[in-house]
Amino acid sequence: MTWDWAVFFGTFPLLGSALVTTLELVIASLVLASLIGVILCFGRLIGKGALGWLATAYVSMFRGLPETVLIFWIYYCGPFVFDARLSSFASGVLSLSLVAGAYMGEIFRAGVLAVPRGQYEAADALGLSKVHLVRDVAAPQAFRIMLPAIFSQVTILTKNSSIVSAIGVAELFYRGSTLAGDTFRYFEIFSAVGLVYFALIFPLSLLSQRLERTLAVTR
Amino acid sequence: MRRRAVRRRGEDLFWYTFLPTAIAVGLLWLVASQIKWSFVETLDFAALWKFRLALWQGTLNTLILTGVSVALGTVGGTLLAVGLQLRFRPLSWLIVSYVEIFRNTPLLLQLFWIHFALPQLTGISTTPFQSGFIAVTLQSTAYLADIARAGIQAIPKGQWEAADALGLSARVKWLEIVLPQALKIMIPPLANIAVGYFKASAVLALLSVGELMTVTTRIAQYSFKPIEAFTLAGAIYLVLGAIFSSLTYKLERVFSTSEKRQ
Amino acid sequence: MRGPVSMSNEEPIIVCQDVRRHYGQFEALRGVSLTIRKGEVVCIVGPSGSGKSTFLRTINGLEEIDGGNITVDGISLPGSRRETIEIRRRAGMVFQSFNLFPHMTVRRNVTLAPMRNQRLSRSDADKIAERLLARVHIGDQIDKYPEQLSGGQQQRVAIARALAMEPRVLMFDEPTSALDPEMVNEVLEVMRELSHSGITMLVVTHEMAFAREVADRIVFMADGNIVCDLPPSSFFSGANEPRVQQFLSKIR
Repeated sequence: MTWDWAVFFGTFPLLGSALVTTLELVIASLVLASLIGVILCFGRLIGKGALGWLATAYVSMFRGLPETVLIFWIYYCGPFVFDARLSSFASGVLSLSLVAGAYMGEIFRAGVLAVPRGQYEAADALGLSKVHLVRDVAAPQAFRIMLPAIFSQVTILTKNSSIVSAIGVAELFYRGSTLAGDTFRYFEIFSAVGLVYFALIFPLSLLSQRLERTLAVTR
Repeated sequence: MRRRAVRRRGEDLFWYTFLPTAIAVGLLWLVASQIKWSFVETLDFAALWKFRLALWQGTLNTLILTGVSVALGTVGGTLLAVGLQLRFRPLSWLIVSYVEIFRNTPLLLQLFWIHFALPQLTGISTTPFQSGFIAVTLQSTAYLADIARAGIQAIPKGQWEAADALGLSARVKWLEIVLPQALKIMIPPLANIAVGYFKASAVLALLSVGELMTVTTRIAQYSFKPIEAFTLAGAIYLVLGAIFSSLTYKLERVFSTSEKRQ
Repeated sequence: MRGPVSMSNEEPIIVCQDVRRHYGQFEALRGVSLTIRKGEVVCIVGPSGSGKSTFLRTINGLEEIDGGNITVDGISLPGSRRETIEIRRRAGMVFQSFNLFPHMTVRRNVTLAPMRNQRLSRSDADKIAERLLARVHIGDQIDKYPEQLSGGQQQRVAIARALAMEPRVLMFDEPTSALDPEMVNEVLEVMRELSHSGITMLVVTHEMAFAREVADRIVFMADGNIVCDLPPSSFFSGANEPRVQQFLSKIR
């Protein structure tokens, strides 16, 4: 079977709306995961008490669970266990967020812990209130430290968004599969889809590596 | 001074005790109130018992597929890392391209590409299990190439010089001095990757590769008991994953303490 | 300018002519010429940054040269890979940081090169290892791992490892500089014994008392050049070189 450039290049325009769906999935999941992550980080830093215990349990559980299992569980079991029936898009976002949230929580925690103790002491010595300490001294530094890991997590989210195709969300992979299945031109179409994913993910990955290097230098 | 300390404690009490507990309780209530608790009565895990052989087979397939693929990936990745050391521009470019392509595209896509697209190129078609095996091997090779490269670079320069000064041939230098030391350094991240692929293998179910998730999905459809089936699958992944993770943690400690004396 | 002074008429083992080496703009070696003959013990001394270690490492090809040539036991540098490897099998080196192979026992560290380079059998190589390790007074540690030994012990193993190839010349790159003071002597003692045994030695060192006692010649380097090359008596009794006098005064 010979490669047909027309099919290859012809695939890209057809992926337009699917690409948008993928981006929506990733961004929505990122936002929700960050929210979850903040709460988890708070809980994990405290360590004890109800929230601490809950956070630790959550992180242990959702880091050990494959996204695929969770996606299937929420989509197929959700209606039985909860009253509402989520759309496949919402199920996908929820599943991705629950898992990514666990990792985000740990990233936030590592970032906070990595801010040198001396910073807190200096801020205290200057008489800064807690709010100002967090907002102006600790958070910016913690954020800078976390950035490479956050980028890395975004690439993972983007890759995992493909799994959501299993429950019928019309994102990139789903679109590519159906197109290829219709035309039997698997080679060109899947390669095109791969290229789109690569174009999305590779720059993020490079950025993450570069950030890590600059951070290592300045510290 | 005194007043500040007292106010501090009051502040701490709010932030560190009251608020977190309130959040925890609030969240738990939020989730619990949405649950249709009646479903618990209908749960019938015993119904899964008759599928125990299939579940066992699926779990075994997951373990074997993950284990062998990652092992092959280690060999492949090390070879690629050695190839990079040769500093031959065209080869290095090829290797880096391979690594970046396989690391920056979804495993699911690679799986389907290998199963559907590759046969169109080579004329050889593979079974789903074979495709899954190849996909994990190829991707883990890419991740391990990076780890192997880091491992090789971590070896002190003096080791290379001592091997050179003794007039050892390149083959002896690599096989007996460099690679053994690099592999030792590689083992903790390698173990982490292996555990990662154990979990990631669940996505192979989308092609019915035959691992645990494939089996679970079939059981769920056949028995009309998705909650039991998927919960059980989740539990298996969690428990096995936890066991492997703690083994990895112990491995990490063994390997870092032996380096300390240097 | 003092020319090279030889105390013996033996065949030359190392002949360096006008060796040059630069790193970018910085000239580390500016035309170094030296001849080492069989049986000589030559110590290279001088201030830090004078190029002593760099020069030593050009001789077995660990550093490349940008000018001049070097001949070791008849083989010339720059040369092919085969030739470089052959030189390394004939010129042993002991490093400042020992560089023992941590994943191998002392025994294997010493027997590896003879077994792989010379295709010796395991039992033959073992005999050599045992003999050499006894010679450096560390025979009882033969099955230990390097991390279990002190610095001084490790360095002595390194000497045995270099001797196992029966080199024509043994080169030392500041062998005691990385050792705690109490361990320096055990290594110097071994080197002293070696110097009496007739083996050709080229030692870069800061240990002036040792050099004075043991060397046939002392080569003083500064700023990438050999400033003088004299027997110890002449060198230490105030040679007419201001650089040397400056150096010696700092050590006293």
